[in-house]
Amino acid sequence: MKNRLKVLRAERNWSQQDLAGRLEVSRQSVNAIETGRYDPSLPLAFRIAKVFDMAIEDIFQSD
Amino acid sequence: MTTRARITPRGPYFWAGLLLGSYGLVGGLALSGAVNTTAALLLMVAPAGLLIPLFKSATRTVDEGGTACLARGQAQKRYVKRVMIFTSLYLLALAGMTFAEKEFVLAEPVRAVLAILPGLAIIGVFWSIGRLIVEEQDEFLRMLTIRQSLWATGFAMSAASVWGFLESADIVVHLDAYWWAVAWFFGLFVGAVANRIQYGVWGAA
Repeated sequence: MKNRLKVLRAERNWSQQDLAGRLEVSRQSVNAIETGRYDPSLPLAFRIAKVFDMAIEDIFQSD
Repeated sequence: MTTRARITPRGPYFWAGLLLGSYGLVGGLALSGAVNTTAALLLMVAPAGLLIPLFKSATRTVDEGGTACLARGQAQKRYVKRVMIFTSLYLLALAGMTFAEKEFVLAEPVRAVLAILPGLAIIGVFWSIGRLIVEEQDEFLRMLTIRQSLWATGFAMSAASVWGFLESADIVVHLDAYWWAVAWFFGLFVGAVANRIQYGVWGAA
C-alpha cells in the first residue's frame, strides 16, 4: 500500500515526532508507515485521516 | 573560572554489559577453582545490585523518547520494571536453592519447593512479556513484540525437537529442560534481529 504521509507531513512542516505525538504512537510507527514497511490498522488509518482532515483514500492508495 | 562538565548518564546497555561481565567473572572464578561454590554463590548476589542502575537507565531512556528499541510508553516502563523484579527473584531463588542443597541435607518436599522457585520467577518473565503485548497501545510496537515472541517460540521448539531426537540417539549429552527457556530468550534476540532487518526497529521485548 502506498501513502502520502511524508508529503502531507512536509506540507504542514511537521517532524515525524510531531505527527507521532498527534497520533499518540511512537516515532518508529510513523517512520514504518511512511516508508511503506508497515500498513496501519483501520482504526489508526482513521486517526491519520482525522489528523490531516482528509479521507483515508486520499492518503492511502493500493499498489 | 571553572568549567563544569556535564556528566552523561550511562545507558542501559552499559549496565547490562557490566552485569553480564560480572557474572562472567564470577563464573570464571568458580570454574577455575579460585573460589568455592558457596563463595561463588555469594559473589553472584552482589552484581544483582547492578539491576537498579540498569532499571533506572532503561526507564530514563523510555522517558526521553527512546532509542530504536525503546519507544516511549508506560507499557515498556512497566515491562522493564517487571522483568527486573523477576530477574532479581530468579537470581535469589537460584542462589538460595544451590546454597541450601550444598550446605544442608533437605527433605524431598523442601527440595521440591526450593526447586520450583526459580521456575516461578522465569514464569514471571514470560508473564511480563505477555502483559507487554496486552498493554502496549502502539500497534506497530505490539506487532514487533509478537513477532519476537513467535521467532523465540519457533527457535526454542525447533532446537528442543532436534536436540531431543539427537539425545535419544545418544549423539548429544542430556540437557535439563530449563535450557529451552534459555533458548527461548535467545530466540527473542533472533526475533529482534529479524525485526531490525525487516522493519528497521529492534522491538520492545
